[in-house]
Amino acid sequence: MALRDRDMTIGDALDRNHVSRRAFAKFCMAAASAMALPPMVGKAMAEQLRVARRPSVIYLSFQECTGCLESLTRSFTPSIEGLIFDVVSLDYNDTLMAASGAAAEEARATAIKENYGKYLVIVDGSVPMGDGGIYSCAGGRSAVDVLRETAKGAAAIVCVGTCSSFGGIPYADPNPTGALPVSDIIGNRPIINISGCPPIPEVITGTLLQYAARGTLPDLDAQRRPTAFFGNSIHDRCYRRPFYDQGKFAKSFDDEGARNGWCLYELGCKGPTTYNACATVKWNGGTSFPIESGHGCIGCSEPGFWDKGSLYAPLSAARWGKAGEATSMESLELVAGGAIVGAAVGAGAALLGRHRQNQLIGGNEPAAGVARAPGAGPEVTHRQEK
Amino acid sequence: MDLLGFARGTGLKVALVVFCFGVAWRLVAVALLKYKRNFNEPRRSVAHSALGGLLTMGSRSWPHAEFIPRTGAGEALGYSYHIGLFLIVLAFAPHIALFRSLTGFSWPALPSSVITIISVLTLTLFLAVLFRRVTNGVMRLLSNFDDYFSWFITASVIVTGLAATAHFGARYETLLGLHVLSFDALLIWFPFGKLMHAFYLLPSRAFNGYLLARKGAPS
Amino acid sequence: MNSPPTADLAPTPAARVQGAMRGFARELGALSAFRLDSCIHCGICADACHFYIATEDPQYTPIWKVEPFKQAYKRESSAFAPLVRLFGLKREVTAEQLGDWQHLLFDSCNLCGRCSLICPMGIDVAALIEQARHAMFEAGLAPPELYERAALQSRTGQPEASTEPYRDQLLAIGREHGVVIPLDLAEAEVMLCVPRTDIEHYPDAVAALARVMTHLGVRCTFRSDGLIAENYGYFAGGRDWQREISLRLIEQAVACKAKTLLVPECGHAYTALRWEAADLYGKPLPFEVRHVTEYLGEQLQAGRLKLKKADTGKVTFHDPCQLVRKGGVTNAPRELMQAMGLSVSELQNHGGFAFCCGGGGGVIDLKGAAPLRYRAMAAKLREVDDTGAQAFLTSCSDCRRTFDDAREHFRWDKTPHSLLEWVAAQLAGPQKSQP
Repeated sequence: MALRDRDMTIGDALDRNHVSRRAFAKFCMAAASAMALPPMVGKAMAEQLRVARRPSVIYLSFQECTGCLESLTRSFTPSIEGLIFDVVSLDYNDTLMAASGAAAEEARATAIKENYGKYLVIVDGSVPMGDGGIYSCAGGRSAVDVLRETAKGAAAIVCVGTCSSFGGIPYADPNPTGALPVSDIIGNRPIINISGCPPIPEVITGTLLQYAARGTLPDLDAQRRPTAFFGNSIHDRCYRRPFYDQGKFAKSFDDEGARNGWCLYELGCKGPTTYNACATVKWNGGTSFPIESGHGCIGCSEPGFWDKGSLYAPLSAARWGKAGEATSMESLELVAGGAIVGAAVGAGAALLGRHRQNQLIGGNEPAAGVARAPGAGPEVTHRQEK
Repeated sequence: MDLLGFARGTGLKVALVVFCFGVAWRLVAVALLKYKRNFNEPRRSVAHSALGGLLTMGSRSWPHAEFIPRTGAGEALGYSYHIGLFLIVLAFAPHIALFRSLTGFSWPALPSSVITIISVLTLTLFLAVLFRRVTNGVMRLLSNFDDYFSWFITASVIVTGLAATAHFGARYETLLGLHVLSFDALLIWFPFGKLMHAFYLLPSRAFNGYLLARKGAPS
Repeated sequence: MNSPPTADLAPTPAARVQGAMRGFARELGALSAFRLDSCIHCGICADACHFYIATEDPQYTPIWKVEPFKQAYKRESSAFAPLVRLFGLKREVTAEQLGDWQHLLFDSCNLCGRCSLICPMGIDVAALIEQARHAMFEAGLAPPELYERAALQSRTGQPEASTEPYRDQLLAIGREHGVVIPLDLAEAEVMLCVPRTDIEHYPDAVAALARVMTHLGVRCTFRSDGLIAENYGYFAGGRDWQREISLRLIEQAVACKAKTLLVPECGHAYTALRWEAADLYGKPLPFEVRHVTEYLGEQLQAGRLKLKKADTGKVTFHDPCQLVRKGGVTNAPRELMQAMGLSVSELQNHGGFAFCCGGGGGVIDLKGAAPLRYRAMAAKLREVDDTGAQAFLTSCSDCRRTFDDAREHFRWDKTPHSLLEWVAAQLAGPQKSQP
């Protein structure tokens, strides 16, 4: 009798798909090295995974553009990323699953019941809270309700993408739907944030792989992002860094500096304050990343990146006024305004000072030595050098 | 709103306004005090005297040869860190980007690694200057809160800038946020303390150079 | 005359402070405020001041001498003065503080202006000290030696009582030296005056002045009612007395319709008359003010003065501060010395950078200041020795007096000579007749 899906080990699933042990071991070594783990760990991971039961995964999509799922599934690397669906048992994903309607919801409920306390929840998209949460509903239920219900028995929640991790695009000013990140709603379950708009496929798969193999959360930074992938800023790993250090900057798109591959700081690159693996792991199986293609990093894996000012204003530019970028006229108005008011106050201070001066001078000054106030004579003793 | 966002947004805005307001207040309040007319017969014409004033603006930067043996080292120390500060502020690409966003003007930058070297040198000189202020009898007598606080605020800007560049001590955004915040603090303090000498320097030399040239006296 | 005031005339501390504040306030203008605000506490001014250099005592730092003035300014009239008062950021000046500062402002400052040349911010520190002295005077803290001479001079025209009136002594000098002393002419082109120091100590210089003017054929005169060049009101810091003393000379010059008021070999007299008298007068003076050295330099350039060569060894020249550094008459002495064929070996610090003799600003008259003055002078005497010159010249009688005093104190082997006397001894060509 064929094993039911959920009783299969990962090894069984791999065999079913004719993936050799060697190929799988290679995949695990590659994933381990991407996470800066030693090769032995990769080997151990492969062995552990083969006998591990596939964890149940419930994938919830809320206020999202589906870009994160696209990133994951549109990978170039032949079938290895697709394999991930054999490493986990994807019991619910409303975009991919064949079932729909009530059957889909029932599949989710069953998975929750059967794997209570042990299933993994993956969330992409932010959760709107405005007006009772009506801005994201599926099957007549609001996102926030589904999230709360599903989170109750979750072993861990993995937020894929900046929207679920930090609020992302819906969260940007003025946030009309009252969108919130998952971590602002669920406080009592372990959360991993895999941010990025979208995240790099290997970052998602690597993190899931490590969770599947170890059963524990990886090292996380203060924003709950895996330090293996989010521990360094783009700037610190960028191949164009020598140009930054030399002071060679592209001043406009497609100018000589740009064509020479110089640093994109002056064109708004947010690399210095953005933490992600783009500069090392890169995109499309290591093909390139935005900076390499000639566009500055937009900081998409950071909280509030959409409200942090123009994508094209340098990081050090002043940041107020329209579109988050100070224009020269606005700063001139500020300066002039401050100076004019200051000058007026200064004039008042001068008047006060003069008035005080006149007070101290007093009325008609007596001519020295003649009509002086009695007793205003010279000091009798003359103080000597100390 | 995180530290960096506040520092470079609202913080910088407020700081700039207070800076302009305070500087204008301070300069106008002095300029509108009383003036005394000169009735004595000048030795030189007004034009000649004005030229003398203009020249003194620059010439006082280099002490006269007779004074150099006693004062050369101290003056060299002082001017050196000022030059360092000017280079860091005006020739570092991210700073130039800030100026461009505020004024629309920009100019070529020095390589960032060169600025790092200059920053380390400047910080060393800046520490030496504090040491001197504390150990030299004359300076110890003259110095007050203003001297030490102005030093401290300026030092904060230099130290946080270097720390941010070196990613030393905290996450980069935090260090950068502290750097911008310390700059905001410097702008706010500027009109109230001795940092105003930046505005007083040239006019003071010019006035006194003018009055000396008027008498035909050396300046 | 010199009876000190009795105790019950001494002002209360509150009256002293009030007087000082009144004096500060009278002086304060945009320019002095700007100067006070410009100070960055660098202490470089100390390196120019010979009192600091000789003692390495920080209290003699020039800008420190005006510290109470600065404090009062910040508290009363600066840009943020209301906030300063509200938060008590600067305390009020106290009478004790003013008392402590008397030594700094009068004993340890010659008003020589060297500090004003070194200040990197371009502050005229000497001018601030001069203003602070005015406040000290109003506080009743001018040293008695200066106060009493100023009082007497403003009242009588003489800073000290003399057995014979100075006018008679002047005529006597003329007789003894065989020179004409024109006195009280109704009209003259040049009005002369004389340092009281010269009448009492250097009569040869008085004679030399008369001789040179006669030789030049200039119609000049002394005036009995405006005879003395020094201005003790200036030294004491009493502006009103300074004005009265200057007015004497101004009125006499006007009375004799002089085109030039000739200041004799005296430094502070030149400052008081050339650069300050008109401001006290309230309008431009109706005549030129010239120092005799400057005047003779002009005559030399114009070809009206011809000098014989003198056969002496190396000489050096002490530049009086008020004439050269603060007055701008740097070249005339050298032109005159060159015309006399003198071989000049300049002091290490010469011209506008010369160290003060040590007696300027009234310090020579202050007995209590003598120990400090001698300490400051030691370097100057060494400088003179280092030139290898056998003789040294100067053109200020109080500098001469100061150096002569040092000669006694240090048993020094040199004595200062008057440039004017040497010029008078080297006059060449026939005496010109008066127009």
